[in-house]
Amino acid sequence: MLEALEGSQAVARAVALCRPQVVAAYPITPQTHIVENISKLVAEGRLDCELVSVESEFSAASVALGAAATGARAYTASSSQGILLMTEVLYNIAGLRLPMVLTCANRAVGAPINIWNDQSDSMSVRDAGWIQLHCADNQEAVDATIQAFRITQNTELPVMVCMDGFVLTHTLETLEMPEQALVDRYLPPFSFPRALDPHRPISMGTLVGPDHFTEVRHSHHQALLRAKEEIVAADRDWAALSGRAGGGLLTVEGPEDARTAVLAMGSVVGTLRDAMEVFPQRRKVKLIKLRSFRPFPAEELRAACAGVKDLVVLERAVSPGLGGIVATEARAALAPTKRPRVLGFAVGLGGRDVPLETYPRLMEALGEEPPPEGFRILDVALERLSAEDR
Amino acid sequence: MMTDDTTDTAALRARQPRFHGLESGHRACQGCGEALAARLVTEATGPDIVVANATGCLEVFSTPYPESAWRVPWVHSLFENAAAVASGVEAALKAQGRRSKVVAMGGDGGTFDIGFQALSGMLERMHDVLYVCYDNEAYMNTGVQRSSSTPHAASTTTSPAGKARMGKRHLKKDLLSIIAAHHIPYAASASVAFPADLKRKVRRAMQIEGPTFLLVHSPCPLGWGHDSALTVEIARRGVDCGLFPLVELERGKVTGVMPIRTPRPVADYLKLQKRFGHLFDDDDHRAREEREHLQALAEHNIDTYGLRGTDSDPFDTAGADTVRRGGLGQ
Amino acid sequence: MSTPITRGAYAEPGSSLAFKTGTWRSARPVHKHWAAPCHAACPAGEDAQAWLAHLQEGHARAAWEALVQANPMPAVTGRVCPHPCETACNRGRYDEAVAIHALERRLGDEAIRHGWDYPAAPRGAGGGVAVVGAGPAGLSAAYHLRRRGYAVTLFDALPEAGGLLRSAIPMTRLPRAVLDAEVERILALGVDTRFRHALGRDVDLAELRAGFDAVFLAPGAGRSRAWDVDGAVPADHHSGLALLREWIDHGALPQPMPRSVAIHGGGNTAVDLARVLKRAGVPEVHVVTASGLPGPDADPGDVLNVVPREFDEAVEEGIVFHDHRTLQRLLMRGSKVVGVEMVRLRKLPDGRGRKARIAFEGTETVLEVDMVVPAIGEVVDPTGFERLIGQGSYFKADPWGAIGHDGVWVGGDARGDRGTVSAAIGDGRRAAIAIDAAREGREPDEAPRDVIGFQSLNLAYFEPAPRARPPVLPPERRDDVTEIEGSLEHAAIGREALRCFSCGNCMACDNCWTLCPDSAVIKTVETASDGSHYLFDLDYCKGCGLCAHECPCGFIRMVPEY
Repeated sequence: MLEALEGSQAVARAVALCRPQVVAAYPITPQTHIVENISKLVAEGRLDCELVSVESEFSAASVALGAAATGARAYTASSSQGILLMTEVLYNIAGLRLPMVLTCANRAVGAPINIWNDQSDSMSVRDAGWIQLHCADNQEAVDATIQAFRITQNTELPVMVCMDGFVLTHTLETLEMPEQALVDRYLPPFSFPRALDPHRPISMGTLVGPDHFTEVRHSHHQALLRAKEEIVAADRDWAALSGRAGGGLLTVEGPEDARTAVLAMGSVVGTLRDAMEVFPQRRKVKLIKLRSFRPFPAEELRAACAGVKDLVVLERAVSPGLGGIVATEARAALAPTKRPRVLGFAVGLGGRDVPLETYPRLMEALGEEPPPEGFRILDVALERLSAEDR
Repeated sequence: MMTDDTTDTAALRARQPRFHGLESGHRACQGCGEALAARLVTEATGPDIVVANATGCLEVFSTPYPESAWRVPWVHSLFENAAAVASGVEAALKAQGRRSKVVAMGGDGGTFDIGFQALSGMLERMHDVLYVCYDNEAYMNTGVQRSSSTPHAASTTTSPAGKARMGKRHLKKDLLSIIAAHHIPYAASASVAFPADLKRKVRRAMQIEGPTFLLVHSPCPLGWGHDSALTVEIARRGVDCGLFPLVELERGKVTGVMPIRTPRPVADYLKLQKRFGHLFDDDDHRAREEREHLQALAEHNIDTYGLRGTDSDPFDTAGADTVRRGGLGQ
Repeated sequence: MSTPITRGAYAEPGSSLAFKTGTWRSARPVHKHWAAPCHAACPAGEDAQAWLAHLQEGHARAAWEALVQANPMPAVTGRVCPHPCETACNRGRYDEAVAIHALERRLGDEAIRHGWDYPAAPRGAGGGVAVVGAGPAGLSAAYHLRRRGYAVTLFDALPEAGGLLRSAIPMTRLPRAVLDAEVERILALGVDTRFRHALGRDVDLAELRAGFDAVFLAPGAGRSRAWDVDGAVPADHHSGLALLREWIDHGALPQPMPRSVAIHGGGNTAVDLARVLKRAGVPEVHVVTASGLPGPDADPGDVLNVVPREFDEAVEEGIVFHDHRTLQRLLMRGSKVVGVEMVRLRKLPDGRGRKARIAFEGTETVLEVDMVVPAIGEVVDPTGFERLIGQGSYFKADPWGAIGHDGVWVGGDARGDRGTVSAAIGDGRRAAIAIDAAREGREPDEAPRDVIGFQSLNLAYFEPAPRARPPVLPPERRDDVTEIEGSLEHAAIGREALRCFSCGNCMACDNCWTLCPDSAVIKTVETASDGSHYLFDLDYCKGCGLCAHECPCGFIRMVPEY
């Protein structure tokens, strides 16, 4: 049934459809509406779960950790400083190989304090060992949330579903909310064989020394690499049931023989899609939507870039002192091939609007002489900075 | 007697008339008060619990992979989140309709300091969790640094005694009062020197639905600088002098104390421990002053909690650990 | 690595048992079975701690059976023994000694009331032994020999067994029914008695040595020691023992009754006689003794050789004691005594390893009395064994009673170095051991255990508790026949038994099991065979020493390993 829903409300409803047993969260803009909507569902009796309103994001993640370790389907959501406050726990959840789902309503990380969207928060925990899926719109966020609960259960890896704060969370879109029966068919009841249980009293979270640590890390890495199959399968199965695919690891749109490609994650994909129609180019350009940032689909990216001469990476985060994070990773992924030139651009930091004109400016940049360096912030107004800060 | 090659120790261990939640083979130091306390606590809880353990000595010495000394389901996550993990475990059990009790455990570092916020949150949300703090009065796992539980004037590696300082400058945080101020059903202090009292308090807490808290004084031979054989002796003196009062609070109100029949001078407690060694330098007038300060703190406790016992009270410090031929049962 | 690394590195329960922390140890705990001080101090060889342990468990009969392993007459000794066990009792240094005598007496009385028999004795294993003297030493020897299977023939000059228990102890301290019951029970073991048989008159020592495999002589010390004061003796004087016997046997009192009497001596005879005279109406009764008086600070080697409570009762009854004094001069008017001159003295080392009595000039005082009675002790009447005793007042014997004549052992007061009923009972027991050993051609042996000291106990585990006080007749209700001290009430028995610290012996209190941080103490009643309920699991014991420090009884000690 088509409904006009705010992104946060839609995600909250999607979470509820997955029948979580424990939800723990601490409010932070722009995640707030998700938690509020879940609380409302609980209050109205439409969601039967233990809702733990904790005193910090650190505890939110910890409560979810405890719940997951006890064999409960667990969920939390956060943003920005909240994600950073959780960081230690996020590493822990993944290292313990605990299944759970977290929605990251992406927001810039201070200082300076800024409540608006970019993706610095989820980027900062990219090495925590979580699966990270990015959503281009709210329908994708709904579908990815449902898929995430299956992926986490099957991989015993936690899944972070990233959706841009405000741009998605606070935007009303018309979307299809699946029926409960459909979700129930898709998502089997949660079971976790290592759950804490007095009848099989194992010890979780042991002290692992040099003798074993390498192997534990290796298996974690392998699990993430192997998770690619499950991400694809989860999407495929969901598509078979619902008629909608989220795009597996990544999707390619546009002419197959294009020599230029633009790669992006999140809501900016929609902006690019529209801009490509509004500002048609002489050259053929294809659009690569990267959905799975972790595991990073290096092989799939190489395939998508076959024949591509210029790969433009547009991202909403910066690694100061390095530049583009996704661009750097794309460059590394393409290194074994006769690789295209990779041009990294950041836009929309801290909520700056990403207008349709961004696309023609990118295309112009391709022609610059000398060719642009590996990375720059596209929409920076240098003239507003003093000379020494430019 | 001792075991020999012909003794089937595995069979004997399996038939012990008390449940041991913490098995042999853990790597605690000789005479570890915390290991003793943790075993006593699990004896009293029985096997139907789930433990959430903060980072610290207990966690490290009990679970060096691939070994674990625990015979109860146990999870360790981080230093500062035992209370929150326990909250999550409890929420999960509730959601699943399971009845096992959740027990969170941490040292004074993970409880008084870094995990304090999570603990306060757990208490406020009224989770059905027993939180046990093994109080050895410093960060022992990292090599004896001061915590907010370290007593005044104790020397630690970050509050060392020297020409200009007499050990820790600040006072031991009165955590129990702060905990009790959460208006929880039950908060108590106990000591490894009074195992029957300790176990009684654990059993009491286990019967209460809601958050309960137990602070267990657990001497650390290494950190306190005493002979490993004296762990219980020192704990006993700590109680007997009034520095570590054994009290019970319900909904913030003192409802039980273990009276001290004959309070010992604080010096009897201090002099067995190297961390207070600098207080016995006769040439230093500050040493005397700090000793008197600690004596005054002990007397303050005795007055505040009304610990002065009478001869007729069988549950005072002179009667609480009385032994009997044939033991005291479970 | 045989087992794969687990997902998320979880570990299996109790898998730490694979790590043997016992290798860290540099000292290991061992159980050490000590002798409790009460045991070591008992002249009869009674292990009070052992029978108190049964009593703590509520097993009175088992306690009595353990008791009579050493002492067949607990109802008697519980009444008349000065109980050095209580003086030695470690509890005395904590609050007050355990009232061992009261419990012993109660057990003895229970046995009489219920007709408990001694544990069965083997029959006819040994040879025949002649026991001369049916006092406590002889009865004890007869008992212990019978229990070892010997045929015993018991000789005594008197018509009944009991010796001085019957002839010199007032009924107010030892009811005759009690004595009769315990004597009867011993004789009922199958002792052949020859009463009215005096050695040297009715039977000959050579005859005995020829007719029996062994002879045990326990004739007692029945002759009063010669006495004078600076060479002077009152014309009509009688020894204290003689006066006491007259009174016990015939109810006879000295005539005319004195107005004021000084009894010279510091033993039971002196005190018993003093009390008899006082009760008979003598207004002033003084006891003059070289010893000190019992009290908390008294040196046990310097006090009156009387049961402490008897002293207290005597003081209650109005007897005046003059301690650390001796009689220096009799004040006579004609042949009649009108007073005594006393002087203070002390027993001090003489520089040759002995103690000498030193009187202090200038401390003389005069006591006006019209009668002086010596009660300074008794010596052996040598009739019948003059050849064995020679010129001495007593026999000289080794601890087993051997006197250097094959086949003859001696015990009891005849040794001169004894002085209590319990010591006599101990002599009888040791002689039985020695006779048994000699028959098998070996040296007698009784390996004593080390005695545990007060410092080895951990007293934190004991609660102060007042010592049980048996009921005592108030002085105004005391007479010549009614026993003065009563039996402990039933409720007090268990309470008092629980006051025992179980020094040096495991009481299975569980402390080591409870307090081992490494769970290296295993509780097992079946497998531990050393009197405890616990095994040390050396695979895991780290040697911290906590169990040893916290053992209330001092039963655990640490032994270095490397």
